[in-house]
Amino acid sequence: MRVNYSLQDKFDFLIFIPLLLLVVLGLLGIYSSTINHPTANGNFERQFIWAIVSFMTIFIIYSLPSQIFKNISMPAYAISIFLLILVLAVGKTVYGSKSWMNFGFVGFQPSEFAKIGTILFLAKWMSEENRDINDPKTFMISISIGLLPVLLIMLEPDTGTTMVFMIIILFMFFWKGLSLFEIFVVISPAVVLFASLFGKVTMFISLIIILLLLVIFKKNIFTNISVMVMNLGAGFVFDIVYKILKPHQQKRIDAFLDPMADPLGAGYNALQAKVAIGSGGFWGKGFMHGNQTQLRFIPKQWTDFIYCVIGEEFGLFGSVLVLILFMLIFVRLLNLSKQTNDSFGSLVTIGAFAMFFTHFAINIGMNLGITPVVGIPLPFMSYGGSSLLVNSAMMGVLLNFYRNRRLYD
Amino acid sequence: MNDKIPASVLRSRIFSFLIFVFFAASVFQLFRMQVINQKSYDQKSSENSIKNIPLVPPRGLFYDRNFQLLVGNQSAFTLEITPAFYDKKNNTIIEKVLEVPAGYIDKIFKKDANYSKYLPRKIMRGLSPKFIAWFEENRSELKGVEYISEMQREYYDGVLGSHMFGYTKEINAKQLKLFKGIYEMGDYVGNTGLEKTYEMYLHGIKGAKFYLVDSRQLVLGRYENGESDIAPRKGFDLVLSIDKDAQKAAEESFVGKKGGLVAIEPATGEIIAFVSSPQYDLSTFASFTSSDKWKGLLIDPEKPMFNRASMSQLPPGSTFKMIGAIAALEEGIIDEKFMLNCGGGFQFGNRFFKCTHVHGGVNVVTAIEKSCNTFFYQIILKVGFDKWSEYGKKFGFGSKTGIDIGEEARGIMPSSAYFNKVYGKNKWTQGYVVSLGIGQGEVSATPLQLAQYCALLANYGKSFKPHLLKGFIRNDNNQFIPAKATEINTSISKRTMELVREGMFRVVQGAGTATHVKINGINIAGKTGTAQNPHGQDHAIFIGFAPYENPKIAVACIVENAGYGATHAAPIVKNVIEAYLIKDKPKTKSNTIIAAKEMQR
Repeated sequence: MRVNYSLQDKFDFLIFIPLLLLVVLGLLGIYSSTINHPTANGNFERQFIWAIVSFMTIFIIYSLPSQIFKNISMPAYAISIFLLILVLAVGKTVYGSKSWMNFGFVGFQPSEFAKIGTILFLAKWMSEENRDINDPKTFMISISIGLLPVLLIMLEPDTGTTMVFMIIILFMFFWKGLSLFEIFVVISPAVVLFASLFGKVTMFISLIIILLLLVIFKKNIFTNISVMVMNLGAGFVFDIVYKILKPHQQKRIDAFLDPMADPLGAGYNALQAKVAIGSGGFWGKGFMHGNQTQLRFIPKQWTDFIYCVIGEEFGLFGSVLVLILFMLIFVRLLNLSKQTNDSFGSLVTIGAFAMFFTHFAINIGMNLGITPVVGIPLPFMSYGGSSLLVNSAMMGVLLNFYRNRRLYD
Repeated sequence: MNDKIPASVLRSRIFSFLIFVFFAASVFQLFRMQVINQKSYDQKSSENSIKNIPLVPPRGLFYDRNFQLLVGNQSAFTLEITPAFYDKKNNTIIEKVLEVPAGYIDKIFKKDANYSKYLPRKIMRGLSPKFIAWFEENRSELKGVEYISEMQREYYDGVLGSHMFGYTKEINAKQLKLFKGIYEMGDYVGNTGLEKTYEMYLHGIKGAKFYLVDSRQLVLGRYENGESDIAPRKGFDLVLSIDKDAQKAAEESFVGKKGGLVAIEPATGEIIAFVSSPQYDLSTFASFTSSDKWKGLLIDPEKPMFNRASMSQLPPGSTFKMIGAIAALEEGIIDEKFMLNCGGGFQFGNRFFKCTHVHGGVNVVTAIEKSCNTFFYQIILKVGFDKWSEYGKKFGFGSKTGIDIGEEARGIMPSSAYFNKVYGKNKWTQGYVVSLGIGQGEVSATPLQLAQYCALLANYGKSFKPHLLKGFIRNDNNQFIPAKATEINTSISKRTMELVREGMFRVVQGAGTATHVKINGINIAGKTGTAQNPHGQDHAIFIGFAPYENPKIAVACIVENAGYGATHAAPIVKNVIEAYLIKDKPKTKSNTIIAAKEMQR
């Protein structure tokens, strides 16, 4: 029984309008930070065209029949994997990672496209009949689907995108109903690893907490021992991995742990970004009047550090506005995940939410100096055509789900 | 079942909670940065967008007493390398073009390793045009390398003045710590001589140019179009008491000789000439000094770096006889009529102390005139060792004169206390004292001390402490500020001084030991001396002042390993006196023309 056919019901303005505003704010930031730049001064025009293309894409995808996404999920995933292998062979190396494909005038990152492909296919596979994520076989196959692109992206290597993929997979598994204990098993090594960055004392504290949790879970002694061994291993993995990491990656970790140690080196971006935002004050220095931005203190500010342009030139007001717009979208997406027609749609929505939220949290976090500097863009705002297009396409899918949601729930 | 939404309400709430937590944390952090700490961030933001390039002011100049330029500045190019932007692979080629030994650049980097790698290091001053040309051709491949224009010392008109002027040297880490805020790495500071003493006046006040720079320290343009730049302020100029002509005459007379000369204006204590020979060329230090050149100067057996004018301590010889004369006259032990017979020497105990001639009967004036040893052997015994020593100290012997350059020796003015210390109590006899009466043995003085002594003799026992600085010229209003000097008064009676001066007058103008250094129209008074040197040729000494009636200049001169003072030191003193007193003396060539014309008449 279909009831209302008002535009409001068919189209989620509470997602679309914040999205539009974010793109506009992003364009303002790009304009401010590149218009006087000797080499990047065409970026605003390029991004503007990409924005128009992206919004057209949203509407096209929005109007597609809903079941098409399930049907294309398998080919999309296959193409993603193919492109990820291809880029390792013929890709262009940018900032130490081989992640770019060049098609004459336009460059594009296969890992961006792979996000959609993987989310769609994982969602499809997990939403098929009688799939129980807590069943070891299903779990193993699901995690294999998820980890295959992760593995390829790690080879580029692209730390940021790898992290995004891991969280997408985790969120989707969680949503699918992965038991708390299994989630604990998956997450705890990551926690120990992160703790070990801050020294052996914090590492052992985290290990003790995990031991206590194991006691609470009341599993058998064999499981407990294997989990502890795994965690202990994770605790020491950092020292080993650190040695394997490329120098520029090592520097980023060092810079996060102590940004003042080398203020003109790796900690430089983080520090200057904080200075830019902090000096913005309540109302900001005004559009085109932020000296950190205008003097180009933050290299490539229009990509990963676009948020500090807003912070400096529009102040607390602008910064919080961006946060609110993102929050609105996230809340609407969570809402949507409970209303979609089927579990496929719901899982895709959560996958997309995980993707946007991780990008958002890591990017804002590094701009504010509360997470390490990991080079990933802020969705819809950072300069970059392929990123904007892929994110918009994902939004198109979600808005399509909204159009076809269950209105009677 | 397929269509069922998989997760529970709880799991959705966990996501909501996550969003909320992150939102709250971000807003909190934003508030902290943009509201609470906004001021400190704002300051950082405005500070680091402007690059400050210090402008080093030209050092103050040195003028002579007639405001003739002695030491100036000239611009020269200095090579700078900023390690942060520099590729060490270029070391070899740069070192080759600079013509310095391999490892030269690394050595400088190592020396300043503790400083930020974004600070440029000064690699070499005084770049050759050849290097500049090579650099300009290859600069695109030499990132982090730059040359800047700097001021370096320039010396005029053949006046060397090496030991007096001194040289500047790159500031060391210790000084840098001591004068934090005033100096920066790579600055040059006075290291010896006047450059060191008056460093605080000479260095001036640094200025700054402000540039807008981006994160890579690339200059985007002038800050506020240069309106807030600070012009450097030149250091105070020094007006020295040196007379260019006298200094030049002294330096020229000393070419090829070893020794020291100091000339003083008796009434004021102002030093007119100050020479230590052999000299070294200060312009070597103005730009790049290769370690070979340095080593060469340091290991040269002639010790050119040693300041003989105020550091060499030699027995003053017969020039010291006036001390005994003054002590005896002042203490009433002798008077002007007192006579002694010179039979060519003096028997004391079982030792015979020789005199140069058989002088017959001599009084105090003729004893000085003829430089009779016999007379003064006995005088010191009559006066008593410690009384004699007391008078020597009155004339400044045995202590530093306080001249305004750092290098100075005190010499030895012995007394019984001193001998007790050196030889032990009762381990020395009066026999040790006898030869002190003629300035030989355990007594020593510097040329500077002898000049002060001569000035006091010339000016009836009154003068000022010797000094090189007449005054400053302020850098803001060009006002001349005279330097202050300390008075010396020996409180010797006028009659005593008259007698001693008469003796000295006769040395040159009478039948004395230096009659060959007379100058037409000017009466010179003086005293020759020869310091016995057990290691080689004797040291020639002469002190003299002129004009006798109204002394304008008092000179002391020691020529090492030369022989008799009369033969080797006195003519130099004559040259200096001549150069100072006969200002508009025509050149030698026109002199002969005048002489020829006079002969025609």
